[in-house]
Amino acid sequence: MSQRNERSTRPGSDGVTEWLIHQAAHRAPESLSSRLEEEWLADLASRSAPLSRLRFAAGCCWATILILHDFPRSRVPAASPVAARGFLTLVDRNFSYFSLRSATLFLIAGLHAALFYGLITTLSHTRSPAVPPRLQNQPVAPVPRAKVPLPLPGSDFKDRAIYVPKPVVETPPKMDFEADVIGDVSEKPPQVISQPPFPETPTHAVHQLAGGPGAGFPETGDFYPSPSIRLGEEGLSTVRVCVDRRGRLTSEPTTVRGSGSARLDEAALKLARAGSGHYRPTTEDGQPVSSCYPFGVRFQLKK
Amino acid sequence: MGKKDTNVRMSLQTLRVLEAFLENPTEQLSGAEVHQRCGIASGTLYPILLRLESAGWFVSQWEAIDPSSVGRPRRRLYRLTSTGLRRASEVFASFNRGVLA
Repeated sequence: MSQRNERSTRPGSDGVTEWLIHQAAHRAPESLSSRLEEEWLADLASRSAPLSRLRFAAGCCWATILILHDFPRSRVPAASPVAARGFLTLVDRNFSYFSLRSATLFLIAGLHAALFYGLITTLSHTRSPAVPPRLQNQPVAPVPRAKVPLPLPGSDFKDRAIYVPKPVVETPPKMDFEADVIGDVSEKPPQVISQPPFPETPTHAVHQLAGGPGAGFPETGDFYPSPSIRLGEEGLSTVRVCVDRRGRLTSEPTTVRGSGSARLDEAALKLARAGSGHYRPTTEDGQPVSSCYPFGVRFQLKK
Repeated sequence: MGKKDTNVRMSLQTLRVLEAFLENPTEQLSGAEVHQRCGIASGTLYPILLRLESAGWFVSQWEAIDPSSVGRPRRRLYRLTSTGLRRASEVFASFNRGVLA
């Protein structure tokens, strides 16, 4: 016992763990109390890490609950060497006010009550009346209406003229379909289109450079259909493409003006699709913009 | 004193404790050593040891040392009894047969 008292006076976490073990052992059956305390303190001494010691002590508290449940009448040998030689049947002792099952039942009931109370108090704040208030039929005094004679259609009806401002329509710059025609992919210098200044609203002119096939655009000859070469078909197919600021197609190219040969038109569309990413975007004041423009694809056999 | 009930409710933790003792049935182990071998927390371990001791599968005694000379408190050592060895062997044999006794 003197050893136990010495240990209990240690400061710090050791004091806490040993105090926990002391409390746990004290709540154990009387016949096991001193034995368990000495046993647990001895096993605690084999642990050095403070967290491990604390976990051990907490586990001993839990072990006491289980031991109380298992051994309401202790049949385990007691701590004394004399008693350890045989099994003893000890006197009855009511070690706990509640059994584990009763405690669990009370805990569940308490949780339900708390949950129910929480629901009630929460709903009372946000509850809206489910039934609308009853209508109260009270006679309302009639409002006297002034008898104002309705205006008859008179001569002043024509005087009310409605003036609608004339809308100002701005015509977009006209794109010349034949302006940018390529043959065997020979780049042309970009065409500068400047909008005519409006005399009414003097604003600065937007310098627009129409886009077209740019660097790295596929060769027309690579898309020349073999049957057309054999049959000697030639022609100009005009294709309309929509290109973003990076020169990539934003929609499917379409044939604006056919060459007279379906094969050549289809080949021109394939060429236009293959050239996605190699188009030169239209620029406005030097800034690339998304736009749609036509360009021609000429299929011509070399003489 | 009547006949003792040697039936023990088998759980996974109980089997692990028995397995630790069956490695060397004559060896005496303290609770700390069983914890090191099984990894069972103290909250579960000591009730199992007491339950098996109460059922007669284990006997326990204090370690025969002088705490002042050794410098540590004496430990409670557990050992399998002949009954415990037989019953534990039966339990594990039934597992090998695929049927829990």
